Amino acid sequence: MVIAMKKFFLLVVLCALGTTAQARNVDLATVPERATVQLTIYNAEDLTLVRETRRISFKKGTNPLQFSWANTLIDPTSVELRFLDHRSELEVLETTYPHDKSHMLYWQVQSEMDGEARIEINYFTAGISWTADYVALADAGEEHLHLSSFVRIANHSGEAYENAQVRLVVGVINLVEKVAHLAQGRTPIMPQETARYKMRAAKQAMMLEEMAAPAPMVAMDMMAGSAEMEAPKEIAKESLSEYFIYTIDGTETIPHGWAKRLRSFEADNVPVRVQYRYRPQEYGAQPVRLYLLRNDSESGLGLTPLPDGMIRIFRDNGRDGLRYVGEQTLKYVPIGDKIEINLGQDPEVIFELIPRQVWRDEIWLRVSGPELYRKVDGGVKIDVKSSVAGWDEHTLYSQRIRNYSAKAIEIEVRRSYDGDVQWRSSHPAVLHDYRTVEFTATVEAGASVDVYHEVTRREGYNQKKNNVELLSGKVN
Amino acid sequence: MRYSVLYLLLATMLWHIPLEALARIKLITLPPRERVEIQLDHARATLVEEERIVPLVQGVNQVDFAWANTQIDPDTLVFRVLGPADEAAGANDIKVLSVSYPPNENALIWNVAAARSGAARVRISYVIGGLDKSFTYRALADKDEKSLQLSQYLRIDNFANEEYGDSGIWAGFGERLQKQIGIGETKQVLLHKYTQVPVTKTYSTNAQTYLDRPKNKLRVPMHYVLRNDQAHGLGLAALPYGKVRIFVDDGKGSSAFIGEDWGQFTPLDDELKLYLGVAQDIVVVRTIDKSEQKHVNGNLYHHEVTLKYEIENFKNEAVILDIHENIRALRDELRGNNGRAVEWELLPTTTLGAADADKSTYDSLVFHADLPARKADSSADKVVHYLRLLLKNEW
Repeated sequence: MVIAMKKFFLLVVLCALGTTAQARNVDLATVPERATVQLTIYNAEDLTLVRETRRISFKKGTNPLQFSWANTLIDPTSVELRFLDHRSELEVLETTYPHDKSHMLYWQVQSEMDGEARIEINYFTAGISWTADYVALADAGEEHLHLSSFVRIANHSGEAYENAQVRLVVGVINLVEKVAHLAQGRTPIMPQETARYKMRAAKQAMMLEEMAAPAPMVAMDMMAGSAEMEAPKEIAKESLSEYFIYTIDGTETIPHGWAKRLRSFEADNVPVRVQYRYRPQEYGAQPVRLYLLRNDSESGLGLTPLPDGMIRIFRDNGRDGLRYVGEQTLKYVPIGDKIEINLGQDPEVIFELIPRQVWRDEIWLRVSGPELYRKVDGGVKIDVKSSVAGWDEHTLYSQRIRNYSAKAIEIEVRRSYDGDVQWRSSHPAVLHDYRTVEFTATVEAGASVDVYHEVTRREGYNQKKNNVELLSGKVN
Repeated sequence: MRYSVLYLLLATMLWHIPLEALARIKLITLPPRERVEIQLDHARATLVEEERIVPLVQGVNQVDFAWANTQIDPDTLVFRVLGPADEAAGANDIKVLSVSYPPNENALIWNVAAARSGAARVRISYVIGGLDKSFTYRALADKDEKSLQLSQYLRIDNFANEEYGDSGIWAGFGERLQKQIGIGETKQVLLHKYTQVPVTKTYSTNAQTYLDRPKNKLRVPMHYVLRNDQAHGLGLAALPYGKVRIFVDDGKGSSAFIGEDWGQFTPLDDELKLYLGVAQDIVVVRTIDKSEQKHVNGNLYHHEVTLKYEIENFKNEAVILDIHENIRALRDELRGNNGRAVEWELLPTTTLGAADADKSTYDSLVFHADLPARKADSSADKVVHYLRLLLKNEW
């Protein structure tokens, strides 16, 4: 089974083959085993950089090497051969993609020595992915979270990479063509621009490889712990340019078709604040409940950005069990940034906007000029035509919030208005932006709060600007 | 055939054996469930928590969890080690190393390291589909329809293709239940019985729903109105949405079914209105008696409106009729919809009195009209009311 999953073959062909000779039906070849393999998996693209090393014996003269990858998702344009030793004595003379074999290439290597050398083969493959996910357990009082972060690696590449060092890249890189798409093709014929951008993307990936050296502390920890009970693997995290590299302790074997989930980190007693928000443009027509926390050291976090991933929230139900609270996709959270988890609507908080009164004043008429009327049997009348051109419309609202939960709640309300608007309330409010009023109310458990506010819309001729002006003072 | 399709297998393996081999060669134990809790409090998801005693050996253990033919969301699975099964045996250091997901199987494998051999108590939580809840109610009104008995039932449909033996069930409120739910079973459980719940039978009318438009006759819907607070015999929790079947005591030791309605989600302190049908014995004719615009200036007008309600009650008892009038809809009917809010004032010659402040909003008013019972000769007095309004600043 394990052997069957190996789709990559590197053959040292034991005869000097010219281009025409490659069509021969009878070859004799040796198959050098992989010595090491390293996977660098990107979460923003379906892209994995594979770097494998092998030992090969060369003879003086021309040495043909055949590399094939049937039934895999390798990008043939990305395959590179490098010599790790005897560099001055070894050189790739040419690379040939045979016309009749779609997943194969030949290297003609010129050797100035007889002996063994270590080679490295790099290539991109699709089909290996990693994602982050999180599990948050809130205490019964919802004051702290136990936050666990996981990485899940799935291998659908068609190849089993045994004992691979695995590195995960957090961040977005630029690709102009999908690796999975390139894997379908043959010898690449790229437009000049495409080739240039592709090379840049490849260089970005290679740069990450070069700069991301394995963390020595992790290796030492692993050595020290080897005599003790097996512990969850450490995942070392390092920043690099615009990226973060997660290096998984030791090596992993993830056969084709399998997925594996490892704990990235966990943090206990992460302070969390519960807030309700009414922001119709962001959250819809009803207020939602949120957990607010920060990815910083004060919260026991902040060692790494939090990659995109699903977060699932459970809460201690106070009866020796959990309560499922909800889930949401967490977008990338930089170190130090806030984390906002939307838990959805809360049926225990009732939110009603009640119109109380409407009145109009400051009504202006536009005079369109006198019109003269004459009666048939005599008499003249002058009528001055005019129509309403501007007015102020006042609406008094009560924003009623009822809290039937067991704790006092804080609710932040944002309302946006178009046009020339004056907003007045005895409740403190601020402008979130030029057209959005924001206020916060605290509602005790089992209590109800009415925030009365008057909205004056200056319409027609009376409209002089296009923003909201906050006024102070009592409302009617 | 009843069978459990969830398996928790324990395989003690050497850590370095490849996963493909692991899936084929197993020495397994089948730890039974010690405790199951089903949490139905979430609006869209059902959480199951099960506790098992898992024997672990020193070193790395493979705990295989499979869920063929069920709708477990594998991404919601949480595995927690609560501690050693036998507290007297002392603490054991147990850690989850990783989780592996084999291809084309509804299964996963927890790799668990134990410092020493011994059984551990673990809890596995997951969200499962097909195990759903709903609520139904049975209302039995007294003969005089002044109070009723409201029975609230929790209904659990188990189409999750998994049998749950003696399980704790939590609906989010009320008592925790302990029940068994077999595969394909539906179980209805009485959650709470509220007795002596005061009920108001209301008759209402609304200009938006005519019974006979050419004759200006309005429909008169009837409702039972319950208030979800403790002063009115309820108020323990919000009442979830559900069908309410309504019966009335016939005074002869039996009851009559008088209809059913969907009870809307009713928060605390709110009213639950149950529609009973249209009253046939109350006749309401609504006429626009006056519609006169008054010139203010230019194209600006006030508009005086008089609505006349002629009401006859042919019932044997006096009732109160709730008259709903939407002022904006009235303005739109008379002047067309100009998109502006309606500004209005109630004129003092209105005979309906003041609008009910609790039930009215700015442009939707509720008035109450007392209607006497029909007379001995079966005739009914015609009660006439006028609602006089001034719509202001219209153009």
